[in-house]
Amino acid sequence: MANIKQDTLPVIRDLKDFDPRSGNLLERMVFNYRPLFMLFMVLVTGVLGYLALTRLELRPSFEKMIPQSQPYIQNYLDNRKSLRGLGNSVRVVVENTQGDIFDPEYLTVLKQINDELFLAQGVDRAWMKSLWSPGVRWTEVTEEGFQGGTVMPDDYQGKPADIEQLRQNINRAGIVGSLVATDFKSSMLVVPLLDHDLATGRGIDYRQFSQMLEQQLRDKYEYAGDSKARRAGEEGHGKYKVRVIGFAKLMGDLSDGLVQVMMFFALAVGTSLLIIYLYTRCVRSTLLVVCCSLAAVVWQLGIVGWLGYAIDPYSILVPFLIFAIGVSHAAQKMNGIMQDIGRGTHRQVAARYTFRRLFVAGVTALLADAVGFAVLMLIDIPVIKDLAITASIGVAVLIFTSLLLIPVALSYVGVGRKAAERALRIDRRAAEHRGFGKLWDALDRFTTRKWATGAVLVAVLMGAVGFWASLQLKIGDLDSGAPELRADSRYNRDNAYITRHYALSSDLFAVMIKTPPEGCLSYQTLMLADRLAWELQQYPGVQTTVSLVNAVRQITAGSFEGNPKMSSLQRNQDMLNYAAQQASVNAPELFNNDCSLMPVIAYLKDHKAQTLDDVVAIADRFARENSTPERQFMLAAGSAGIEAATNIVVRDANRTMLLFVYLAVTLFCLITFRSWRATLVALLPLVLTSVLCEALMVAMGIGVKVATLPVIALGVGIGVDYALYLLSVQLHYQRQGRSLGEAYQNAVAFTGRVVGLVGITLAAGVVGWAWSPIKFQADMGILLTFMFLWNMLGALVLIPALSYFLLPDKRFVAAEPETCAAPTPPDERVCQPQAPTRMSA
Amino acid sequence: MACSRKWAPWALALAMAVAGVQGPARAAGYVDVLDLPAKPSALAVLSPLRDVTRAGDRLVAVGPRGHIVYSDNQGQDWHQASVPVSADLNALVFANAREGWAVGNDGVVLHSRDGGASWARQLDGRQIGTLVEAHYQALAKAHPDDPQWPAFAAEGQRLVEEGADKPLLGVWFVDARHGYVVGVFNLILRTDDGGNSWVPMQDRTDNPQGLHLNAIHAIGDELYVAGEQGLLLKWQAGQQRFVSLPSPYQGTWFGVLGKPGEVLAYGLRGHVARSSDGGQSWARVNTGVTQSITAASIDSNGDYWLFSQAGQVLRSRDGGLSFAVQPQVPPAPVTAAVQARSNGTVLVGERGVRVLPAR
Repeated sequence: MANIKQDTLPVIRDLKDFDPRSGNLLERMVFNYRPLFMLFMVLVTGVLGYLALTRLELRPSFEKMIPQSQPYIQNYLDNRKSLRGLGNSVRVVVENTQGDIFDPEYLTVLKQINDELFLAQGVDRAWMKSLWSPGVRWTEVTEEGFQGGTVMPDDYQGKPADIEQLRQNINRAGIVGSLVATDFKSSMLVVPLLDHDLATGRGIDYRQFSQMLEQQLRDKYEYAGDSKARRAGEEGHGKYKVRVIGFAKLMGDLSDGLVQVMMFFALAVGTSLLIIYLYTRCVRSTLLVVCCSLAAVVWQLGIVGWLGYAIDPYSILVPFLIFAIGVSHAAQKMNGIMQDIGRGTHRQVAARYTFRRLFVAGVTALLADAVGFAVLMLIDIPVIKDLAITASIGVAVLIFTSLLLIPVALSYVGVGRKAAERALRIDRRAAEHRGFGKLWDALDRFTTRKWATGAVLVAVLMGAVGFWASLQLKIGDLDSGAPELRADSRYNRDNAYITRHYALSSDLFAVMIKTPPEGCLSYQTLMLADRLAWELQQYPGVQTTVSLVNAVRQITAGSFEGNPKMSSLQRNQDMLNYAAQQASVNAPELFNNDCSLMPVIAYLKDHKAQTLDDVVAIADRFARENSTPERQFMLAAGSAGIEAATNIVVRDANRTMLLFVYLAVTLFCLITFRSWRATLVALLPLVLTSVLCEALMVAMGIGVKVATLPVIALGVGIGVDYALYLLSVQLHYQRQGRSLGEAYQNAVAFTGRVVGLVGITLAAGVVGWAWSPIKFQADMGILLTFMFLWNMLGALVLIPALSYFLLPDKRFVAAEPETCAAPTPPDERVCQPQAPTRMSA
Repeated sequence: MACSRKWAPWALALAMAVAGVQGPARAAGYVDVLDLPAKPSALAVLSPLRDVTRAGDRLVAVGPRGHIVYSDNQGQDWHQASVPVSADLNALVFANAREGWAVGNDGVVLHSRDGGASWARQLDGRQIGTLVEAHYQALAKAHPDDPQWPAFAAEGQRLVEEGADKPLLGVWFVDARHGYVVGVFNLILRTDDGGNSWVPMQDRTDNPQGLHLNAIHAIGDELYVAGEQGLLLKWQAGQQRFVSLPSPYQGTWFGVLGKPGEVLAYGLRGHVARSSDGGQSWARVNTGVTQSITAASIDSNGDYWLFSQAGQVLRSRDGGLSFAVQPQVPPAPVTAAVQARSNGTVLVGERGVRVLPAR
């Protein structure tokens, strides 16, 4: 039964009986010059390994995570240099847990932190703001005009009178809620960062900056040197807490998370070792399989580094997947060789046999995987494109390492005799309906009317419930805080603290108003900015708005002795110019140097997709109604603006990508099976998994976002492997005239273990991600694990059940027996579609 | 036809896509605040408001963006009035329960005949300059040897050149026919026909420096104007002129308040002065606060209340001789206050309306 195809290649015990000129050109090139080939592989691995070590960078890039050609993003990128206030700054909050800020000791610590940050590399010192900054001033209208001074008294010495003076200055400076917490228990340092370090001229290394914050500030002031507690993610128990938010810190934390995720790779390798060993019970081949798969990862990383790509939180997925796919292919090769050796064939011949049987099949399977990756190229988000490219490189590499290197290496080391015999024994027992045979028998029942109907009904029911649930699927991020990190991460806890104790949220949506130089100061422009702000404020999701208008109103009132009735926009250009000149000192972030760009910033209460959509709709309508060539209202900047644009792209991409991945897989199945019915049988389980995956996302509160886009494509692209394995063998037998039950039984006996192995190794490769400190990676890990496993289950159960309805015996009885496209060979059993042979494990 | 059926949805989708690209094409023209009616907004009552007063039993408040809101239940629920402009409004007054006037930026004077529910424009900044210029040019022509008229006419010409930019800060109507509006740079106009026509009064003030006039208010039969740099004026019917009073302080006064026989002026940096002889002599009142006093009211007991820009609340139980800071949470800037019928005080300010319950 299970050995039909094995018989097609004779057992050759002695190498002398084997004709080395047999086999195709590639086989002869590789196997007749084995030492040369091995030398080549070792050399390439060495070179690429060196490249990987020296060239590869860990670089979470903000730009790469946003859809570059989306019009809103282009507006933002075109003008980002002018958007100082939305630029790159870090907010450091120093909290006194045992009192308030009017504590001389607290103020001393604050000064030390202020000084350290002031001297830190990359800090734009001129614009740094804290209670200790000379630029933080109070002003007051007096009989003689404005009077003012620094908030921190000039001659501060920590005496009670000084503290009292400070308290008064804070009140009249109006910085409660911005630099001072509303409960007076903490104060903030606003630390703007330079785009390029003045000393080195290079971009700021966020990871380094973030580590500086951790090691110089947190360790010293919050943990009092107990950096172990910090690394454990606990909060310090000392008198002070240092809370940091801002883009640089976020990027730093992401980088740290990446390093942690790389540790999970060891976990994936360990799990694979265990799985392969359990499968083969042969130490040397287990090590060989894992080493060759690691070589694939080294190659992939080396090429990626050589081409100048960096490892980011998304592309770090690729080594995991490549390793897992490599392991599953390698395991199949090894399995074939093991059986031949077990039967007594010489190991070199066994390796060549396996190569013959599996090379084309392996390439086909890898192509199917590549389809899943290639579809991702359609998504206009650089990280996803990079993921697609680097993964395609990885798949190409697997042709060398898994399909060529493994058989050649196995021809040297062979497999343990005991293990080889065990492999044969397992198959024999299965054929006798013992051991695995019992499981195969159970699965075989799904080809009978009762079980098939039951399985299909259950699947339809699950599909319906899943579909109903998936209607609740949301676009975008559903939690508050930085969506990249977990809700309970230190960063997000800090963010929540700051949101609670300071007036403004961290979800900023900005509309940019572009005019000719000096245009932002015109009365009409300011008036329109004010109207836009007012329209935005009408939406309940907008907490408040800030623009140059706020500053102009305030300064105008100030120049009328603070008369609140003069807090208006005046038509007088001198008045407006004066206000803007004052604003350029106090609030330079509200417009650019030549006054050709000013943002209207809305502070949103959250960044849920609905909020963002509504705000975009309001702003977009206003922009269309009021834009003229000289005065353009452009969406969108700010964290929420970028997220809104990303959501728009993701929503489209999700649909396009699903369409294309299914189109590609359908084509692939049609070519392989040459039957639309078989294609349906292969695809329907995948559709069910996709629907259930969306339902799972709803249940787990995961929105459709950049990180989840690749999941379905990969799930479908790699998931179709199972159907290819099972169905092609089943079809082969059905076309030979066997009954469905028999055909499926053969198919599952051949491939059942491999399907299981592939599902489990793939899942093992990514499941570790669920513990990633980076939230979207955790989401990806959970969803991919689910898809890999559920696709496997779906294939084993639903393929027989659907075949009962779609591929009934009568279709094959009526048809002529399958004939070969190639000239008919003497042995009809040699005439097999390539795909089934790959499964001859 | 199968074919057309198949294509119909696509054609529809294409048409929608084209329409979507073009969008609802509307003219992108800037509409001036004087031509743009105030938009109704649920936020009007929670947003900055600048003055509040009573119209019979009704409370009416004005604020930026042409917002006018009124309440018929002493400040609990508010409705937004229909207003033909969206200029920032600064002050209002009612001569009786029905007839009221509101003034604001851009020289806007609005009039209501229905207790503040709807408003019509009587004057705006685009007319004021011409009006002033014409008035003084006529006087100059009538009295060619009087040198003051050409100077006032030149001032009127400057107002014409400046355009609509004429903030009016105060308004007072003695009755439904006679009233005044005041504003920056000594701008003051008078009407004797309920606002249908206005006469410039710049020549009738003792204000040679052209200081801003912040508020105008009558106490009994006496009409006072408070202004910049300690300016305090009082209408002298005999001279038909606002004459200067000896101010005890040279900073800005934001307003005056009082009862017959008592006048209080309040202003910058906590300054308050009191006069019991109709403004002929003033005594400084120590308030103990350094924030500007921007609003004041008298309650039904006759007690004075003062409100500072920082939100402090002060009360005097002795006719304004001394004030004590009242505990109040949470403090928020107050720009105007009025005694409600229900014995509470309605405050308006940066954060809209608040009702301060009576104690």
